[in-house]
Amino acid sequence: MTAYGVGIGWRPEIAGFVAQLPGLRFAEVVAESVHAHGDLPVGLAELRERGVAVVPHGVKLSLGGAEPVEPARVTHLAAVAERLGAPLVSEHIAYVRAGGVEAGHLLPVPRSREAVDAIVANVRRTRAELSVPIALEPIAALFDWPDDELDEGAFLTEILERTDALLLLDVANVYANARNRGTDPLALLDSVPLERVAYVHVAGGAEHDGIYHDTHTDAVPQPVLDLITELCARRRPPALMLERDGDYPAAAELRGELDAIAAASGYPAVT
Amino acid sequence: MTSLADRQAELVAALTAGAAVPPGFDARLVEAARVALLRKRAGEVARQWPELAHGLGAGWVRQFAAWAATRPTRGSLRDGWDLARDLAARRELPPAAGAELATREAVLVYDGERAPRPRRWPAVRGAAGSVVVQVAGRVRVLRRG
Repeated sequence: MTAYGVGIGWRPEIAGFVAQLPGLRFAEVVAESVHAHGDLPVGLAELRERGVAVVPHGVKLSLGGAEPVEPARVTHLAAVAERLGAPLVSEHIAYVRAGGVEAGHLLPVPRSREAVDAIVANVRRTRAELSVPIALEPIAALFDWPDDELDEGAFLTEILERTDALLLLDVANVYANARNRGTDPLALLDSVPLERVAYVHVAGGAEHDGIYHDTHTDAVPQPVLDLITELCARRRPPALMLERDGDYPAAAELRGELDAIAAASGYPAVT
Repeated sequence: MTSLADRQAELVAALTAGAAVPPGFDARLVEAARVALLRKRAGEVARQWPELAHGLGAGWVRQFAAWAATRPTRGSLRDGWDLARDLAARRELPPAAGAELATREAVLVYDGERAPRPRRWPAVRGAAGSVVVQVAGRVRVLRRG
């Protein structure tokens, strides 16, 4: 994959800020927020005209659901990828609904053989409609299932190998999970196939009542930036991008976070 | 053994509908996730219904979370709409939020069950002292509560 460097999650609220990043070559948009055939959101079409790669990031496919993915959602994701001329798409290793009820959030799946089989089947159903690769993102989970059979590294490696999917590694999720479980985030980096990393998410969070929440509405903490440096020392991913989903700070603060990601990864600043 | 589908549904019910936490899970952590989920929903609904959230002021997150705790999300547009209608029916909708609800009622048809869709004919709607008229998709607030 092309080396794009530092990117950002495009959101309508920060479209003006993103439009003015002179060095930007990579962005991501929530796939469900884009019409498959109608006009693109204001600002996104301009990014495409500038040659910025825009990756649709699905949040509602529910690849980790025991039930098959809904065909209409897969069709939409594929159509949005075409619409944006995207080099790839991404989704989560998670489920978001069950028995017809929406969870409203990405929920963890058990790290069991049964769940691996369900995810592999859903990724294959999805890939059958896509003309570009898919990258799968492990989530930040506040709790684990009681019947985990595999550790996270083995679980992810098996899914990626059986589906031939790429990995969307979220270093903030790696940090959050390790901190909340009391495990070593570097051990996780050493247990997943880093050669499959398509790009990396970076986000902020906050601690409440002893639990670290991956909020995307707080500043990126230093340990997450340090994980970027550790990751890049092992194998530098083609792109790393800031995810911010609310409580948007002033432009100077956002620029500072993008510059910090550039400094931690050794990619040029895009600001 | 219960199927993965059933167990996933049990967990969703615990997180969104007040059902018991399934056996074996860390109840403290599932509770933390449930509360975080309600806060996130409150933020999303506040973006979709700014006057409703503003009208309820400092109590917004608490009041929304109490209402939403046993109601799985149907999307932030409908979540806010359902709550605003409940408050209006109890005469507890803040006047500052009346025009927002009346506008939605005048522009879209929503039966409380299916996704809202555009209204084809002119409509006049009122809520919490506000009155709104919609003609050919254009809205005018005739009176604010």
